[in-house]
Amino acid sequence: MFQGFPEIKEALISNRMQAGFLVAPMAVALRSQGVPIKIIYLGHRYGSAAVVRKDGPIKTAADLKGRTIAIPNRFSDERLMAGLVLRKHGLSEKDVHMVEMAPPDVASALAANAVDMFVMGEPYPSQAEMAGFGRVLFFAKDYWPDYMSCVLVVRQDVIEQRREAVQLLVDGIARSGIWLDEGRPHREYAAEFVGRYYYRQPPALLKWALTKPLDRVMYSPLTPLKKDFDMVNDLMVEAGLIPRKLAFEDYVDGSFAEGAQGLGAWKFNPGDTTAE
Amino acid sequence: MTKKKKIVGIVVAWAAMVTGLHLWLNFDWASFLNDFRPEAERKLNVAYIPVT
Repeated sequence: MFQGFPEIKEALISNRMQAGFLVAPMAVALRSQGVPIKIIYLGHRYGSAAVVRKDGPIKTAADLKGRTIAIPNRFSDERLMAGLVLRKHGLSEKDVHMVEMAPPDVASALAANAVDMFVMGEPYPSQAEMAGFGRVLFFAKDYWPDYMSCVLVVRQDVIEQRREAVQLLVDGIARSGIWLDEGRPHREYAAEFVGRYYYRQPPALLKWALTKPLDRVMYSPLTPLKKDFDMVNDLMVEAGLIPRKLAFEDYVDGSFAEGAQGLGAWKFNPGDTTAE
Repeated sequence: MTKKKKIVGIVVAWAAMVTGLHLWLNFDWASFLNDFRPEAERKLNVAYIPVT
């Protein structure tokens, strides 16, 4: 487990990690710089939100002029989404002060009035809501249909030499996603064991993030689609993150997603010891 | 046995026990041994951060 996307980027480049979840614009930017990786699958859909202080002066996005906004990274979907929303309300990125912040720090920064808003993936919007000081100003899906954020990237040498292992990984993610989208009991159970054994976060926080409402984060469909990445590319060019749009095939390998088509959810009920 | 030797013995035994317990309970042997397997048999290391 890492604490920031730049560290994952370095671990992938150095081959300490062979695969990883990165924010989509960072993956595209790395590929545009010639780093031998490919996006092969998505981590989820939606799951990001902008949060302001419940008792603060920001009631709509139009109130953001001159405010400080925390984002996970300038190469993040959250940054692109913030820009998109600002423009829809007659503002631009120049009208606000964007600061990069490690995801685990944003809720406390908002509580301490160090920032006026943060745009971040779950469970940090939920954390601010649960603690009582945060209010969701907008969810990603309010402005960005089929929003995606984290994508699964794999080193090119691994794609070429370990296809079976990579397919196994994608199949597992696909089946887990469908299982999670089967309803509340599965999400609540996942919150318990992911909170305890993977994220090391309170299960109640993850339950909130996964169930309030149920479509706050969605885990299917996770196939990388050209239309979604065209939008990311266009916004990246607009924001000056890449010099020109990249060809979809240059940074996405859709063959593993195709291989996972038609798979069903894991056969696993809370309390079972194995999944089939 | 002198008092000094007794204390040293207890300290060494204590350190050995704590080290043993740490290696048994906290050390990720599967991950450590994975790096020594032939590349074709190695499990993939997948990086993530606790955020969607």
